[in-house]
Amino acid sequence: MKPTAFDYHAPASPEEAVSLLGSLGDGAKIIAGGQSLTPMLALRLAVFEHLVDIRRIESLRGVSRSNGTVRVGAGTTEAAVGRSDVVAADVPLLARATPFIGHLAIRNRGTIGGCVAHADAAAEYPAVALALDATIETLSPRGTRSIPAAEFFTGIWSTALEPDELITALEFGVWSGRTGFAVEEFAVRSGDFAIAGATVAVELSSSGSVDRCAIGLFGLGPTAVRATAAEESAAGTAVPDLNPDEIGQAALAGQDVPSDSHGSAAYRTRVGAAMVATAWRRAVKEASGE
Amino acid sequence: MSGPAVGGAARYAGTRVHRVEDTRLLTGTGTFADDVTRAGLLHAFFVRSPHARAAILSVDATEALALPGVIAVFTAADLNGDIREQWYTIDGPDIPDTPRPPLADGMVRYVGDPVALVVAEDRYIAEDAAELVMVDYDPLDPVVDYATARESEVLVHDAYPGNVAGEIPGAPFETLDEVCDGAAHVLTETIREQGQAAVPMEGRGLTAEWSGGELTLWSASQAPHEVRLFASRLLGVPEHKVRTITRDVGGGFGQKVVPQREEMCVLLAVRKVPGPLKWTEDRQENLLSAGQARHEHGDVRMAFADDGTMLATSIDHTDDVGSYPTPWPVGPGIAVGMMFPGPYRVAAGTFKHTSMFSNTVGRTAYRGPWAFETLARELCLDIAARRMGIDPAELRRRNILRRDEMPYSNPVGMPYDHMSPNETFEQALSILGYEEFRKEQAAARAEGRYLGVGISTYVEPTASAMPYYGSEGATIRVEPSGKINVYMAGGSTGNSLETTAVMLTADALGARIEDVSTIQGDTAVTPFGPGTGGSRSGPMIAGAVGETASILRERLLAIAAGKLEADVADVELSESSASVKGDPDASVTFAEIANLAYFQPAALPPGVPAGLEASARYAAQAMMLWANATHVCTCEVDTVTGAVKLLRYIVSEDCGPMINPNLVEGQIAGGVVQGIGGALMEHLAYDEDGNPVSTTFMDYMLPTSTEVPVIEYGHVETPGPNPGGYKGVGEGGAIGAPAAVANAVADALSPFGVTVTQLPLTPDAIVGLISSAGGAS
Amino acid sequence: MSDDIADVKVTVTVNGRPRRAAVPPRLTLADFLRERCQLTGTHLGCEHGVCGACSVLLDGEAVCACLMFAVQADGAEVTTVEGLSPGDGELSPVQAAFRDHHGLQCGFCTPGFVVSVTAFLRDNPDPSDDQIREALSGNLCRCTGYQGIFKAVRAAAESSSASATPSETR
Repeated sequence: MKPTAFDYHAPASPEEAVSLLGSLGDGAKIIAGGQSLTPMLALRLAVFEHLVDIRRIESLRGVSRSNGTVRVGAGTTEAAVGRSDVVAADVPLLARATPFIGHLAIRNRGTIGGCVAHADAAAEYPAVALALDATIETLSPRGTRSIPAAEFFTGIWSTALEPDELITALEFGVWSGRTGFAVEEFAVRSGDFAIAGATVAVELSSSGSVDRCAIGLFGLGPTAVRATAAEESAAGTAVPDLNPDEIGQAALAGQDVPSDSHGSAAYRTRVGAAMVATAWRRAVKEASGE
Repeated sequence: MSGPAVGGAARYAGTRVHRVEDTRLLTGTGTFADDVTRAGLLHAFFVRSPHARAAILSVDATEALALPGVIAVFTAADLNGDIREQWYTIDGPDIPDTPRPPLADGMVRYVGDPVALVVAEDRYIAEDAAELVMVDYDPLDPVVDYATARESEVLVHDAYPGNVAGEIPGAPFETLDEVCDGAAHVLTETIREQGQAAVPMEGRGLTAEWSGGELTLWSASQAPHEVRLFASRLLGVPEHKVRTITRDVGGGFGQKVVPQREEMCVLLAVRKVPGPLKWTEDRQENLLSAGQARHEHGDVRMAFADDGTMLATSIDHTDDVGSYPTPWPVGPGIAVGMMFPGPYRVAAGTFKHTSMFSNTVGRTAYRGPWAFETLARELCLDIAARRMGIDPAELRRRNILRRDEMPYSNPVGMPYDHMSPNETFEQALSILGYEEFRKEQAAARAEGRYLGVGISTYVEPTASAMPYYGSEGATIRVEPSGKINVYMAGGSTGNSLETTAVMLTADALGARIEDVSTIQGDTAVTPFGPGTGGSRSGPMIAGAVGETASILRERLLAIAAGKLEADVADVELSESSASVKGDPDASVTFAEIANLAYFQPAALPPGVPAGLEASARYAAQAMMLWANATHVCTCEVDTVTGAVKLLRYIVSEDCGPMINPNLVEGQIAGGVVQGIGGALMEHLAYDEDGNPVSTTFMDYMLPTSTEVPVIEYGHVETPGPNPGGYKGVGEGGAIGAPAAVANAVADALSPFGVTVTQLPLTPDAIVGLISSAGGAS
Repeated sequence: MSDDIADVKVTVTVNGRPRRAAVPPRLTLADFLRERCQLTGTHLGCEHGVCGACSVLLDGEAVCACLMFAVQADGAEVTTVEGLSPGDGELSPVQAAFRDHHGLQCGFCTPGFVVSVTAFLRDNPDPSDDQIREALSGNLCRCTGYQGIFKAVRAAAESSSASATPSETR
């Protein structure tokens, strides 16, 4: 299980990185933490002539807050996201999703940008990004782009990124007021990819109705997906009038749920609905100040 | 507290002595197969079939050979013809063995079948070259499902009609008709277990060096002497010109009992390449080609009297032996039928065993290879208990054998003795607090929570006296300084054979443990031994150390008596000294004795030879040593997700006195967790086209620290009829666990009317069981 | 194909000692440690980042050495299991706890556990049982059923000196 040969590039800046991607063409691939890419190289499921290592680019790392927005550099490790006080305080959903990612050694290397770019349907961060309407900041030789998460994940392991485009940061709006956040995930073993998972954010009005809510699903579609219809049916309704189990059912209705050796589509749908319902209960409980 | 010793007084036996292996392993200075390096070392890598069944039309290595760093590419035509003899000592040359070509010749028969062997200067290049070997295949329909292989028009091997590798019937099933017809309750069920793999953390590995007519092998093996013998026969190199060295082995669990096809290829190739040749199996290869186990089913019939008394048991057992089982699978298969009556008082029984080929990876041994008997029997007992309206514990209690009923012959002729099924059963239930658990369970059900308890009891033949396994040798040297080395065949794969030999030798000679060391795993200096297998190592090491130490004790005592001018009968050995009983000042150290023995032979008492070295061999006295245990497991099942959380896990076992309780409990725990994995998550699966779908650790799911409960132990001691009374304990944990876990799940789900007859109980499968049973009653 | 690609010069400080080497970019950190540094205590159990047998400390953080290339470690400090023991057959507190509680059998996975646990206890000197289980879940063991390992980690956490690590790791 040894990778095929490749040339190694360690650009010092994002501009140099995308310039390299442009000049090296299709055979080049960005390696960030490499925690998903390296196994694929070792298994020879992926072959690249050039790896462009962005881990040495200082400006891609770090968490900052300004004007109601939290910006997480793409090269920030998952472990660093998990340790960030800013993330814990202002983007709790992101903080709470982090411990579900792989294991400690994986989170020590894996980056938020790499995770989102890899776009595994069962990964946690894409579902958080979708639920929170994060903006994905990118750079290419043609300049910068801001891609809404809703437009970013386009299919199985595919994204809106151009081949010479690099994620530089994720920006999350900060929810304030009576808010609650919860992540629920079901996997056979700790650290496995999710069989089904849900990220839920809610904001309640002073009267106790749902002002806004967001439900992101993972492991339950070709990509992470947003349960828009379920959100719409809940919005504006008083919490006591909402049945979390029904929200769970609604969230899974019409989803294109995958089937594999770890779980059939019917099974994942059942568990997914349960994850949504549980996450909903917990998020609402938190928002209600209970 | 210390236990019995084999000769001498027990000081260490029975205590939790720290292991002598640990320091090197903890500091990263052990030597595993891949850690061996030699000047000019070359690296082997296999080109493997991507098809479950295909004809090989051609193999073109031109491009691979052109790659810089590539030394050779071998195919069947290059290697297979060089075989002189190919058979395993465990079976001898005369059994009707199944085919086992080193490289696939003309046909590939499973995905992973080795087709060519690439030799290169480094592993990376060897893997590059393997991709450049062009094999032209004509894909053919495979036989994937062993259970229907008999009806298939496709044959895995042309010489085996109906894909039957072998059948061994007991008495006809009809002989039980009369008792079954008259029985109050008759249960018939088919129990199925999924394919699993042993999965040692270190894969297989072999480095071979051919030098001036001598062959040196560094092998990841449970049986270094068998690697030597096998290589000697395979290549026609005399045994004494072959040396196998095995230092540390990263687990075996049966998979490393004998060399397989890949090792044959390395042996056959090494004489054709300009340097030593190393093959290190990687994880994907290990899950693809190192062997499958546990894939089998049994049609069970059990008859009961009105009061639950077991009247008869039978099992029609069929297992999947894949394409190239190793070693011969048919004979060992009958153990399932022989052990099926288990620890119960049952008058009538019979069985039949059938081994079926399929186009999947070959069957290899895995910890308790016959363990299916326990799974099938114990699941059926729980099903029967529920149908009869008797508590599963109570049904067992009415039928389980007591220690005072020994010896007892089970209905298919297994001669049970020296064991205590009822005693471990009652102890395990008592540790749990079975009645209290039933109350807790009832209270939980009232809240909509589903708790369950599962019981599994079994008896296990350990340390068989069959010819290959029936003896063990030890050489002990008191060195000129008085320090002691014990030389044994070894084959330790984590089972602490070094510590065991050192403890027993120290006791047998009255030495301080720090004065004893052991050398194992090097055939150049150790006596022949068959290696680890069949839960034999503890009792057989005890026997061998006892035999040899008794010779040396006599000499130590004679020399000391001469020196101390005392009667031999008045001298005792302890603390690495000999002293006169009752007169501790009259003492001579082993160092002083050794000095006399080696350097002043003229001063030795008459008839005592110079030096202090002895070799002897212990031959097993009993046909087998019977161990037994009861496992009790409790769990909670989430009926929405199907998740199983194990709450408590109790093992009460009787392996006789314990040489070292840490090691006994460690063996049990490791086996239990393998069994938990088999019950809940591990699955070496193939799709319908014969493609393996679990060749990574993402897909072949081993239990991790988060799924495993704390294991609680109870010990019952019934000594065996052998030196020290020690019985084997290596396999039992894995034998008992699957049924205990599955019965706990079945018990938890009993309100739904669920019947569990099949593993693994994945969350998806559990939800399926609940759904198909139609919901809670 | 591999001949077309130039080796890259790297300097990696391994267990306190700078190691300079020219490596092919595809050489994993694990193979670099095993083959170039002859530190064979770092074991390869899966080479795809699940088993944890190859865990090492990279600038003090536990990582899988099979999921990194040596070129990525250029300039970094790496501590392997060999670097955790005080030397001369002495054991670190974590290593001693594994010995004392029968936390190993075949020993193949053990270096990875020792490395992971050392980092974990440094960062979490007073862990709960659940935290211990979670922290161990990235390391697979096939021999012990994790029983002795739980006990060892609990004991190491409770021994006052367990959170100390060799100076070169931080």
